[in-house]
Amino acid sequence: MRGRFAVGEAAAYVAATAILAALVHLIVVLIVPLVATRDAFARLEPLGALNETILLPRAGPSATLMPYADPAVAMSFCRYDLTRGPIRITAPSGRAFASISFHTRPGLVFYALTDKAATHGVIDAVLATPEDIRALAAHDDEEDPSRDLRIAAPAPQGYVAMRVFSELPSLYPEAEAEAKRLTCKPEPVPP
Amino acid sequence: MADFVKVLLVCGIGLGLGLLASAYALSRSSPFDRVRLGPWVLAAHAGSTEADPYTRANLERSGEIPLAIGEGLQLIARVDDDGRPLDARCVYTVGPRVPTARYWTLSLIDLDGWPVDDPAERYGFRSSEILRAANGDFVITVAADAHPGDWLPIGRPGRFALALRLYDSPLGATAGAIDRTAVPLVTKVGCG
Repeated sequence: MRGRFAVGEAAAYVAATAILAALVHLIVVLIVPLVATRDAFARLEPLGALNETILLPRAGPSATLMPYADPAVAMSFCRYDLTRGPIRITAPSGRAFASISFHTRPGLVFYALTDKAATHGVIDAVLATPEDIRALAAHDDEEDPSRDLRIAAPAPQGYVAMRVFSELPSLYPEAEAEAKRLTCKPEPVPP
Repeated sequence: MADFVKVLLVCGIGLGLGLLASAYALSRSSPFDRVRLGPWVLAAHAGSTEADPYTRANLERSGEIPLAIGEGLQLIARVDDDGRPLDARCVYTVGPRVPTARYWTLSLIDLDGWPVDDPAERYGFRSSEILRAANGDFVITVAADAHPGDWLPIGRPGRFALALRLYDSPLGATAGAIDRTAVPLVTKVGCG
């Protein structure tokens, strides 16, 4: 009788341990994104001011900023803060592959454009909060509405990254020069 | 008193196990949302806002700038075709085909995603610079010692991984979209 009771008690303790472990694990996984200090935005912050285009060093053994970067691809970025208003993003498109991706602060991608979306050799888009997009649309001329590509950002802060593919190692400096031509400029909202 | 010790023990072990499991889960890529194509693993929603909590937590910790699905796909191989971990003591061949993409690159990385130093400073190959047979097939040799043809050096002993990036690929990151036979084989030729 006593033995059975002990087994039952032990099982209850083991179950309690397992449940507690599962809870701790769940909380840790969900909390990491909220407390992580080394997210992409935080890593990019010391490299330059808001709206400034910064070229990332080429992926290599000595460049230990971003893992899983491609040594064949030149990358640049700019950080944005839409609480100060929308920003206009422009980038030239060359002959090889180029793309622009829009990231939230933790680094998740919410939109991406490739050079196939370029008109007259320029990729052009306006990034704004949903409220600012409504404000911009409200001021559109009814006869001739703006043809801007307006992208609603799910969060006010984040970064825009540009990738330019170099077809040959000798073309890498050219790809870097192209990536540096990414611009992120404040876009006025009509009062 | 005995009960108090037991409760304390439950709390301690529970906390420890939970933290250990978290550390383990976050030190590797998300167990969910992955598509396996032979030796290659594709994180289906890698950087998208639909990513699962594990993928998100991972992204936070690594600081990686993920590729959007519209930009391209990143496939990582940590094992060969037989499922054995890639080892610097062995010689591998990668080829002969890759899934449809405008450009692709094959790079050698360590298990944390960093390029591995090698004296030849050859960290990867681009689709636009490799040698091909008349029918478009290619072979890239991955080995520590020099090999003729396209040779991707392994600069450091131990385990390593291969990253295949497909840029401007019409394929979505779904299991059905990529044919298993379309991904390159990672064949072990021999070990020294």
